[in-house]
Amino acid sequence: MAPYRYGPPALKSSVDVQLQTAFSDGNWHTVIRLATKRASTLKDPYYEAIKVCAESQLDGTAEKCGALVAIDELVKNKKTPDLDTIELYEWACRDFFDYDVEYADTLGPLRARWAKANPSSPLAMQCLQACLERWDLVSAQQIATSLDKAHANTADRRYMFWNIILTYLLSISPQCTDASRKVYSLLAVRQLERAADLTENSEKLEPTDRGLLTEEEVCLYYRVLRSHGTKEDFISRVKSPKLGAIGQLKEGKKLLLCETLDTLETWGEWDLIYQLCREALSLGLDGGTTPFLVCDLQIWRKFAAAASKVADSESALGEVQTILNKYIEIKDTASAMYKKNLSLALLEATFRLPAAALNPNRDKTGLSPRVVQIGLFLDQYFERLSAFDDVKGYVAELGFDEIKTLMEDVLPKMLGEDVDKARKAVLNALESRLRYLLTTCPQTLSPQPSVVDGETQDKPFQCRLCDNPASIPCESCLKKILLDASKAYKEIRGDKELVDSIPRLDKDPRLDLALVMGTSLLKLSGLRPRTTDVIRPLWQTVDAGLFLQAVLLLDAQLKETPGDTELRLLLVQLYLLLGCASYAYQLWTPLDVKRTIQDALSPLFFDRISSLSPGLFHGTRPLMEPLRSFYSHNLGDRSPVRIWDAFSAGSYTSILDIVRYDGNLRRSCTVMMTLVEERRATRCYGGKIDVEIEEHFLTENIDDNTTLVNNTDYGPFPNLESTHGPPVHEYLRLGPGLSNERSHLAFLSEQYLDLLLYKPPKDYRPSKQTEVALRDREYTLETLSRLSNSLTDFLHQPTTPSRLTVAETTYYTVLSLLAAALLIALSTPRSDPVPKTLSLLTGSIKSAIASLRTDFFSLPSSPSTAASKMTPDKTTTITRKGGRLPGVSPSLTEMPTFAALRDAALAVRHSAAFVVAAHDRELARDRSGRSGVHRDVLAEMRALDAAAGKVLGEAKGHVQRLKEVLSEGGWLDRILELAFGGAENEEEGGREDEVARTVEEVIGGRGAAEEWAGRVVESWREGVKGWGMVKME
Amino acid sequence: MANFRRFRPDDLNKLSKCNLDPFTETYDLGFYLQYYAKWPSLFQVAEDQHGNIIGYIMGKLESSPDVYRFSEHYLPWHAHITAVTVAPEARRLGIGKLLTEQLEVAADANGAWFVDLFVRVSNHKAIAFYKSMGYSVFRVVKDYYGEHSTDPTLSSEDAYDMRKPMKRDVKRQHVRDDGEKHEVDPSVVW
Ligand SMILES: CC(C)(COP(=O)(O)OP(=O)(O)OC[C@H]1O[C@@H](n2cnc3c(N)ncnc32)[C@H](O)[C@@H]1OP(=O)(O)O)[C@@H](O)C(=O)NCCC(=O)NCCS
Repeated sequence: MAPYRYGPPALKSSVDVQLQTAFSDGNWHTVIRLATKRASTLKDPYYEAIKVCAESQLDGTAEKCGALVAIDELVKNKKTPDLDTIELYEWACRDFFDYDVEYADTLGPLRARWAKANPSSPLAMQCLQACLERWDLVSAQQIATSLDKAHANTADRRYMFWNIILTYLLSISPQCTDASRKVYSLLAVRQLERAADLTENSEKLEPTDRGLLTEEEVCLYYRVLRSHGTKEDFISRVKSPKLGAIGQLKEGKKLLLCETLDTLETWGEWDLIYQLCREALSLGLDGGTTPFLVCDLQIWRKFAAAASKVADSESALGEVQTILNKYIEIKDTASAMYKKNLSLALLEATFRLPAAALNPNRDKTGLSPRVVQIGLFLDQYFERLSAFDDVKGYVAELGFDEIKTLMEDVLPKMLGEDVDKARKAVLNALESRLRYLLTTCPQTLSPQPSVVDGETQDKPFQCRLCDNPASIPCESCLKKILLDASKAYKEIRGDKELVDSIPRLDKDPRLDLALVMGTSLLKLSGLRPRTTDVIRPLWQTVDAGLFLQAVLLLDAQLKETPGDTELRLLLVQLYLLLGCASYAYQLWTPLDVKRTIQDALSPLFFDRISSLSPGLFHGTRPLMEPLRSFYSHNLGDRSPVRIWDAFSAGSYTSILDIVRYDGNLRRSCTVMMTLVEERRATRCYGGKIDVEIEEHFLTENIDDNTTLVNNTDYGPFPNLESTHGPPVHEYLRLGPGLSNERSHLAFLSEQYLDLLLYKPPKDYRPSKQTEVALRDREYTLETLSRLSNSLTDFLHQPTTPSRLTVAETTYYTVLSLLAAALLIALSTPRSDPVPKTLSLLTGSIKSAIASLRTDFFSLPSSPSTAASKMTPDKTTTITRKGGRLPGVSPSLTEMPTFAALRDAALAVRHSAAFVVAAHDRELARDRSGRSGVHRDVLAEMRALDAAAGKVLGEAKGHVQRLKEVLSEGGWLDRILELAFGGAENEEEGGREDEVARTVEEVIGGRGAAEEWAGRVVESWREGVKGWGMVKME
Repeated sequence: MANFRRFRPDDLNKLSKCNLDPFTETYDLGFYLQYYAKWPSLFQVAEDQHGNIIGYIMGKLESSPDVYRFSEHYLPWHAHITAVTVAPEARRLGIGKLLTEQLEVAADANGAWFVDLFVRVSNHKAIAFYKSMGYSVFRVVKDYYGEHSTDPTLSSEDAYDMRKPMKRDVKRQHVRDDGEKHEVDPSVVW
């Protein structure tokens, strides 16, 4: 930011000392007096400006606007004031910009005029900077054009490229009028084309020539060409010897090649991709570049993919192999990283070969070249932490026979005679992960006829690995994997020598095993992604015992390996699901998600948090303050952070990318999440919301047409799943992730509440009461109509249902119905009949709330357990009966539904109150009563209000009951019974629960479990305490 | 498994594998973007097959401000490594080294006398890493870091200022053998 935004600018040195002193001391009255005198004696308008600016520092509204009026005049009169005057005015108006006054209408044009008149002055560049820092692209582009003209053919090439890039930026900005857009687009492309031609046609380019010289200039050209030029032009240039991708690569510049390949891929230009990859990789072999410059996995993948798509794919794939083999010959000179890339490239190439070329008899023998390659790769890399991730995708592509061979032949023989215990343990852990992976691959299952021997089969598949009847995933495989993993786990733990060797390994194999056990338990428990079609509460969808065992086991592992972020994040999610928000927060905090990474990572904890546990907002420091300050710090100005640095350094691709990033950040769903979660929590406790959401600077450019982007990073989750099914984080979330649809619905709902809850300032007494009342009414009706339409539109988008939980859908539906109902309620004259629609709307509102109410209050008091949920199946049933959660306590995991119910009921009450208040206001103004709200409408509203009030009363009672039930004794036993089954159950059932026993052993016995159960209950109690303070009226 | 390429701002949404590791500091947006704006080719990343960033280096080219030209602590034109980090799962594969080498190539191409960096004296892994690539301690900056990374009872920690001479420094004027013995106050370091 330029310094003049803060302190007052220095006055011209010609100004006398007395005035200078008064000005720098801020003695504005003295300044006004002296400046007025000097203006009249010296006839210099500069003093007039000083006077106006000093006046603007005084309190009166008229004085404050003096500088604006003066600027307006200058703009209108096409005058060009001197720069000192401009600086003075800019400083005087600094608080107005971005809010009330557009820079582009005021100082921008003045600065552009000045720069045009003084293009050779070094100060002209300052004008450019000032306009850029206010993101006034129109003026900035004009200044850049003036500068370029004045500095054509100088060695400072930036002037030319500033002009071009600003012309381009303007052409893609909303600041450009539609009429000029085309002109600017053409202008940018033409100028760059000319420069490119000059480069192509000159033997050698001097810095003073107007061609393309640096990597940044060349890449700018291609970026603009891609967006505004034709595909043909792009392709023909990218092949050219000098400016083409290969030509640039020969000069050691790799950026263009990478960007070009990405572009060509979106166009499906596989022939050219193939050609470019081949040439690029050959250069490394021929000494045209440093050997491994382009030996990235990306390039190999694209090369192999392209080879499989070109006309003569067989010989193309042969060529891939040939080049790859040449690299493999020289791989000893490469670093470990490239060696590994080459091994992966080999895998990639093998997997892209057509099946026929690989092995015509593939079905008969599982030892296909693909399996051989995986084996060879693992042989070298199985000990590396990333081994599983590296091969996972390939293993999931294998056919069933190949899978069998890999798992039964290749892996077991991998270590041969090697007896190193640690290596064995690591391989074992990897094998365990792969076995889990395979349960998520459809090729391990075969469809089963629904009726066999006259008996209907309740499992749709037969597992090809264990031959048992199965659904997805195969439960008996999962159970076996779990038991084997636990055995391996216990063996490691029992072997001191082995435990001592763990710090030397890439990763503690116990961690891998625990993750396999934990996720297997979760799957066995029946946990599935919570999408709209899974409408039942947690305890009705999962087996409580297995679910709790999973949490307990993973929690115990975190104690052993507290530094593992994957495991920690997994647990954070599980505790949120379990309704233990305060404990989840304790686990979240050490991850130290702060500053820049918050936008991508904070949704993993904060999304929906106010509905789960508003009490968290009651801590000593504002819960989401770091997020809020991150945004205000980086989005407070209209210009992207550090944009001038990029201009000044001539980093043109950086400029484009920073602009794009800035746009994405402003449209981030996380921004909306931050605003909405905080507002909801504030309302829970009757706090004051400082600013209406629509007036918040962070929503400045957001309207219904803005696509909000989900930047959430799910990268740090462990993911044992194959791509055939949903990734693990979808199983763990409270509901669908952040989305454009949900963010807009939340935004609109908050606007609706802002309208309802608006209170005019206490001392507000308008003089023309009737006029103001009419205007207010008009505004209210317009807003209601807009909100009702927008809410309905978003709710009806085909993608919306999959983006919301059921409770959210109902809440937003209620709000859209309310907005529509209020519109009718407030616009129906007392003399007309009330339209039927109103009662339809209120009827729908009542039934929506009733359904939320039923969903929530009719939760069963006992969660399902193994015995009650699973079908009796001799091989797969996990035999254990569990304890139960008493009274209302199962609802502890369903608090988001509770929050939706409360919020919906409150919105109803506020809406009714709003109508009644409007009526009372009218009555006070116009005693005749003619302008008031229709009597039937009022009755309808009062009925709604009463219904909502009843629900809120129940809600209050519910929290009270939760409190009571949690303060009872015996909770530890209860949870342990739920997790492991009671002693008497075991005896009674006769069969012992192998899984439960195993888990208990792994975690170190009941004592450890008891301590854990204590933490769970404590966190529930804390959450309920927070709910106890929430306002229910 | 890895691609090497220039950083781009979208990568900031993919830093978790590196930055959730306690040894890697997370900076303000302006800090990353400043480097990307001014020295884009010195900001390089390694990414895995899913687009996660598994390593990055941030560097700059500069000399001390002109006013210090005659100070004994004046630094001539050189490259500086501001941050280098590799995700735990991708360590010991040479990624850190490759990233550093790329920066050294750029330093040579830009006529730098040396490449330097600061590292906590307790960060033995990183010190071993730099030493393996030819960096040596030039001086010890007392209490350079505000807190100690391993010992919470200490309120500060010293830094090694490590250097590697570039091609331009033919006579190795900018390195010394006994750097551990040269202690300086943080106020003389820019
Ligand atoms: C320091 C760090 C960047 C090294 O990255 P890396 O990719 O694992 O390092 P490389 O594989 O390129 O190692 C190159 C050489 O450095 C040395 N080295 C690297 N890590 C080492 C370690 N932990 N112990 C001893 N030497 C090590 C070795 O000589 C190695 O060569 P070798 O593997 O052939 O023996 C990485 O450990 C890291 O990100 N640490 C956390 C962040 C940090 O401390 N950054 C430095 C702040 S100044």
